[in-house]
Amino acid sequence: MMEHPLAIIVEDDPDLSTVFAEAVQAAGFSSESIYSGDAAIQRLSSAPAPRLLVLDLHLPGVTGDRILDFVQDQPHLSNVQVIVASADDRSAQALYGKASLVLLKPISFIQLRDLAGRFIAKEN
Amino acid sequence: MNVWRSLTAVNTTDPDDARRRGLLNILLFGVAVISLLILVATFLGQVSSDPLDNQRIELSIGGLLVGSVVIYLINRFVAGWLASVLFLLLLIVGIAFGDTPNELVSGRSLYEFVVPVIFASILLPAYSTFIFVILTDITIAIIAFSAGIDPNLPAMIGFLIIALVSWLSGRGLENALRDLRLLNSELEQRVQDRTRDLNDSLIREQTETRKNQAILQSIADGVIVFDEHARASVANPAVYGLLEKPESQIIGATVDQLMEGVKTENQVEVKTLFAPSTSLPVPLNVELGGKTLSLSVAPLLAGEAGSGGSVAVFRDVTREAEISRMKSIIVAMVSHELRTPLNAVQGLAEILQQGVYGQLSEKQQQTIERLMINTQRLMKLVHDLLDQAQIEAGTLKMEQVEFSPADLLESVREVVAPLAQQKNLAFELSVDPDLPKTLLGDTQRLGQILINLSTNAIKFTEKGSVKIHLYQLGLKQWAMEVADTGPGIPISAEAYIFDAFRQVDSSAGRKHGGIGLGLSIVKRLVNVMGGDIKLSSRIGRGSTFSVLLPLLQPEPHLIAA
Repeated sequence: MMEHPLAIIVEDDPDLSTVFAEAVQAAGFSSESIYSGDAAIQRLSSAPAPRLLVLDLHLPGVTGDRILDFVQDQPHLSNVQVIVASADDRSAQALYGKASLVLLKPISFIQLRDLAGRFIAKEN
Repeated sequence: MNVWRSLTAVNTTDPDDARRRGLLNILLFGVAVISLLILVATFLGQVSSDPLDNQRIELSIGGLLVGSVVIYLINRFVAGWLASVLFLLLLIVGIAFGDTPNELVSGRSLYEFVVPVIFASILLPAYSTFIFVILTDITIAIIAFSAGIDPNLPAMIGFLIIALVSWLSGRGLENALRDLRLLNSELEQRVQDRTRDLNDSLIREQTETRKNQAILQSIADGVIVFDEHARASVANPAVYGLLEKPESQIIGATVDQLMEGVKTENQVEVKTLFAPSTSLPVPLNVELGGKTLSLSVAPLLAGEAGSGGSVAVFRDVTREAEISRMKSIIVAMVSHELRTPLNAVQGLAEILQQGVYGQLSEKQQQTIERLMINTQRLMKLVHDLLDQAQIEAGTLKMEQVEFSPADLLESVREVVAPLAQQKNLAFELSVDPDLPKTLLGDTQRLGQILINLSTNAIKFTEKGSVKIHLYQLGLKQWAMEVADTGPGIPISAEAYIFDAFRQVDSSAGRKHGGIGLGLSIVKRLVNVMGGDIKLSSRIGRGSTFSVLLPLLQPEPHLIAA
């Protein structure tokens, strides 16, 4: 089981977080769920670094785009693939280039599973 | 002159009477003067050497003089006609006794009888001349017969002819004078009428001006009138408060000076509102010192103030704008908040459907699918509400990217074809070969429009087909046409079919679902794109929606690349 790469889900809605977690797991990742921006910064500051980060933009505390900037600034996170989940297409547009993928909510289980699966396929 | 006037004044209101009595006074004066002269001449022995002659002359002249005075008094204080009759009789008598019968009947004095005949037509109504010519002829006949002389018949007939001429001229004079008086009184009446009209209209205009002034002064909206040089010429008190400027800073100021520090919501230059080409006065909301003002400008039509100017009306809509903003924010927030749990429901259902938690029975599988379809419906409603809120808040932005019309149709087919298949409807998509292969536009929104229109068409069509056709329209437009073979839309509904939250009939709404936002969003999207949407429909035959859009093409070098 240890060969499953790690995906971290940062999403404040627990049910949606479950959906994202199930999707990345179905794609072959192991997953860890975090429910606030502050907790996300704390977790990302320490090892192990995830292979994939599914990031909601609207978070309590530190917002998603601040986390995105943090990920870009940290050398040990330079290989992390980031999938941004946003409900707002205008703020999502501003993030093209910073993230590997920007998905507009609603995000379906199948959609996320298949997209996350591509990152696994790339690895191999 | 005053003495003469007071001596000849007569007391009458009849202008003819006054004229005749005045004339009589002059004649009487003349007769009196001549009589006095003759009397003086007689006393000096200058008229005749025969004393008998002299005596007769003195007697008749004396009688004439006394008679004149009496007639003058009658004329002045009793009646003009009586005085005239007496004067004429006196003349006849005076002439009759003024010479020998021989001379009177056919000698030097015969033609003196002409005088009363002519005077009669002037001093009395014109026909009186005939009475006096008869009197004169009788007098001549009497004198002739009493003296045993043959009367001078040709002269007497001559008098009749003179009477006829006098009558004609007297009558002519009377008629002319009557016409003149009539004309005069008409003219007077007309002058009076005109004066009254003028006065009335002056009063009316003054009242109107005062009323307009009062309206302008008390109106809550701010009004500024700009002259043809775009300088403020008139402003009402309300505008001082709205623009936070005193009157002295407003009157004479240019549009630019007045609009300094004003922000607009839609980046539309305030100046463009004042451009002469602005045909329809579309109000523009402007921000000024914490207030939101609705500004509408209309051209000043040619009038007394001259053409070329404009009228600007400012209305304080701070409250309305605030409410509208709040509403949009609330709708956006609610739709946002609704989306997250809906997304979770959908995702969780998919997890079950995909068998992540173990294989499902057929019944369970069907239930999950129903769950997902209903979630999608809810999601679509929330999406529409959010769109509506964005459009109303003016935050909807359109992209201009290159796209291929054929690809656009393919993306629509993917979404819509399954729906048509479910209802056994033909779903036909076509692009006219003349339409450019690449256009500029917001493909996501164009797709949304086509999906909205075609799913709507499928919803209401029970059998037949739904067709989408794209084609070029003239040089500057292209069109997307969605035609169905549904029940058609009544003409009465065409006016409101594009309103938000409306469906043609509410029973159809219940049957087909939806809250009536689809067409409203389509229309607003089309309008934001600078296009227009048209509907043609026949009851029982079907409906065709045509979306007309400006034809935007990429620069040539972009196509080459």
